[in-house]
Amino acid sequence: MPDLLEVEGLSVSFYRPEGEQQALKNVSFSLHKGEILAVMGKTGCGKSVLCKSILKLLPDVARIRTGRIFFHGREITGYSEKQMQKLRGNAFSMVFQNPMTALNPCMTVGAQIAEAVRMRQPALSRGKRQEKVEELMELVGFPHPGERKGQYPGQLSGGMAQRCAIAIALAADPEILFADEPTTALDVTVQAQILELFLELRKKAEMTIVFVTHNPGVAAKVADRVALMREGELCRIAGVEEFFEESVFD
Amino acid sequence: MKRKFPLFSLTVLLAIAAGCFGCGLFLSTDPAYMDLRNCNTAPNHSFFFGTDSLGRDIFTMIWYGGRASLLIGFLAAFFSTLLAVLVGSVSGYAPAWMDGILMRLTDLVFSVPGLLLTIFLQATMGKANVYSLSLAIGLTGWMSMAKVVRTEVLQLKSTEYVLAAKCLGGGFFHLLCRHLAPNFIPSILFMAVMSVRNAMVAEATLSFMGLGLPVEAVSWGSMLSQAENALLSRAWWIVLIPGIFLAGTIVALTNLGNYMRKSINKRHSNL
Amino acid sequence: MRNRYLIRILYGVLRFAISVLLLSVLVFTVSRAAPGDPLYAYYGEQVEKMSAQQQERAREKLGLGEPIPVQYMGWLRNAVHGDFGISYKYKMDVREVIADRIGNTLLLGGLGFAVIFVLSLLLGLFCAWREDKTADRVICAVGTLTSCIPEFWMSLFWILVFSVWLDWLPSSGAYSVGGENSLADRASHLILPLAVVVAGHLWYYAFQVRNRLLEEVRADYVLLARMKGMSGKQVLYRHCLRNALPSYLSMMAIAFPHILGGTYVVETVFSYPGVGTLAYESARYHDYNMLMLVSILTGMLVILGNMLAQGINEYIDPRIGVSKGKGERV
Repeated sequence: MPDLLEVEGLSVSFYRPEGEQQALKNVSFSLHKGEILAVMGKTGCGKSVLCKSILKLLPDVARIRTGRIFFHGREITGYSEKQMQKLRGNAFSMVFQNPMTALNPCMTVGAQIAEAVRMRQPALSRGKRQEKVEELMELVGFPHPGERKGQYPGQLSGGMAQRCAIAIALAADPEILFADEPTTALDVTVQAQILELFLELRKKAEMTIVFVTHNPGVAAKVADRVALMREGELCRIAGVEEFFEESVFD
Repeated sequence: MKRKFPLFSLTVLLAIAAGCFGCGLFLSTDPAYMDLRNCNTAPNHSFFFGTDSLGRDIFTMIWYGGRASLLIGFLAAFFSTLLAVLVGSVSGYAPAWMDGILMRLTDLVFSVPGLLLTIFLQATMGKANVYSLSLAIGLTGWMSMAKVVRTEVLQLKSTEYVLAAKCLGGGFFHLLCRHLAPNFIPSILFMAVMSVRNAMVAEATLSFMGLGLPVEAVSWGSMLSQAENALLSRAWWIVLIPGIFLAGTIVALTNLGNYMRKSINKRHSNL
Repeated sequence: MRNRYLIRILYGVLRFAISVLLLSVLVFTVSRAAPGDPLYAYYGEQVEKMSAQQQERAREKLGLGEPIPVQYMGWLRNAVHGDFGISYKYKMDVREVIADRIGNTLLLGGLGFAVIFVLSLLLGLFCAWREDKTADRVICAVGTLTSCIPEFWMSLFWILVFSVWLDWLPSSGAYSVGGENSLADRASHLILPLAVVVAGHLWYYAFQVRNRLLEEVRADYVLLARMKGMSGKQVLYRHCLRNALPSYLSMMAIAFPHILGGTYVVETVFSYPGVGTLAYESARYHDYNMLMLVSILTGMLVILGNMLAQGINEYIDPRIGVSKGKGERV
């Protein structure tokens, strides 16, 4: 029985006019079903690139040089954009670092969640879709979803906007949720609430989560296993207790 | 995404400018000399670009005429830029009521068709020559640049280093020259180059319609004022040659301007 | 709530009226400050044969003897009653002269605007979609080139090619003699001027659309939308275009009078009987009454366009609305 996601020797480079820049160097790991894996490291060490290269959301100048990615034992490294579109919003989903820029400022919150629902379940009637939107908003802790559906992201607080982004990610009902520093842009008190939300969701929806963070405290709180990255290399991966027992940070 | 330096455009521009201002060195013919035996001759080995309906040699006129066109372009742009910086920075720096008045005034001037206003201003100054026409064109082309300067100054005004300079007792002109100008110059440089180009187009258009420089004052525009008759006699060289020089200069200027413009697209597309 | 809109509308009307008033003062003073004799427009060469006394009398008859402020007040009094005076050149009510020609200008400018409106959006979208690919580069280069060519010269060039050399299309007028009612004849006269109007403006607006979309395409929300499983094209249409649309509309509101004003030069080259030719004639011959009405009509369009643009910016774009009146909506 293969793991949910396996990454073997993944190397990614950015090809810029100034020259080639290696973002990931020979990264390998596997993801077990139902776990939360925290990916830790300093800014610019390749955490985000790792997520985006699995999802193939990198800009044109970035290319996978070597390595293979398996999902349910099937290789998806060579998938075309069309094939990836089917995986995104179905099997994979992602929460971005800054909810204020990740949400479209000109569209109501409800419409943005509804769009995600529609991509996943195109056959759903309009009424059913709206029900589903409110259900999702309630799930992520939006009070009075009926009223707040009509608001624009600019009218929400950071925490609320992040909840909305999480609702969009959940609309896909994903097998793996990538969370790219979902709490970094938020206030400390709100951070704690959002972390609680992730733990709760894992319990309720049995999701597998890749949680990217630079904060060891956060990693220790949510993760089952922790991976440490440094300059594009994955240097350590271990269970959370084992990891923090003997870790030396620089 | 770094833009490539427009070397070709710069070369073309410099070559044209050198030709225009240095033409006295290699041309012995007089641009005003009318060779009445050779009117409307097509380009040949003695008249490289042919002659116009008055028998003047177009090859000579192109270089001498370019002087007037280029001079008007740069002078007018200089006037526009000066006025724009003055109005824009005063407007951005002054209290709200004055800003309001100045901006309404700008909008008002904006709402008169530019060429029409230029015609009037020119008329108030009497018969057109290179300097009066530059002034008339310059006085009608400052509005959009003034708005850009104002926006920049408004943003700069609240930055801490400007506040600090103010606390130290710097006057308006000190602040303008030492602190504000160095910051907004990059963003208006592009517009200044564009206004050279716009002024050249305005000069040519006015002279073409017989409202700018008179026929005897040779410029690319006034050379084209004979174009409508030339069309009837199928004298294509009278129409095409000055226009090609004009358009070529303008394209080169535009390329240079685009190179100077603040580049906005630094990151990669997410699409 | 309703009251607030009413106040806004009243304020807008007031601003419009004041702007038009100031505009008329400006044009009146500047045009009269210019030396040159309006009598030439009225009497032609005869002026030179008139004695000083006759000239004086003629001036008085046309109301030109008094100081400028008095003249202006007289003009204003009549204008408020809808009387804009007679044209010195045509010796007809200026309203009639303009009424005869404004249809032609609106046809040329309106059609030009419509074509530019649609094409610039499509072209901008296409270029943003193919950013930095060959097609985009070629279009950008061609576009820059065409937008650099002065309109009057482009007109001359096309007349040379299509009328003089190929003899396919007529080079001047709005219809041939006897062809007033033939649609085909009118259309064939419209093709070249229209082509120049469109070519002269198209790239400027298309380029603005392209740049605006390139900014949108770089926003983070594009990644989120793609994360939902949308294709690049879907994101471009449903998110980026939608966000860029308000600023496009407000740009086009300002563009309408601009494009209409741009037809003036083209009209002159093609001897197309429109308001543009009138504008230049009147400036040249000091046909004051004509000049006033033409400038005020054009100015009104510009002011209206600007106000419309501002309105679009304030009401449609929720980002501006939120940042301006925070707390109002909640």
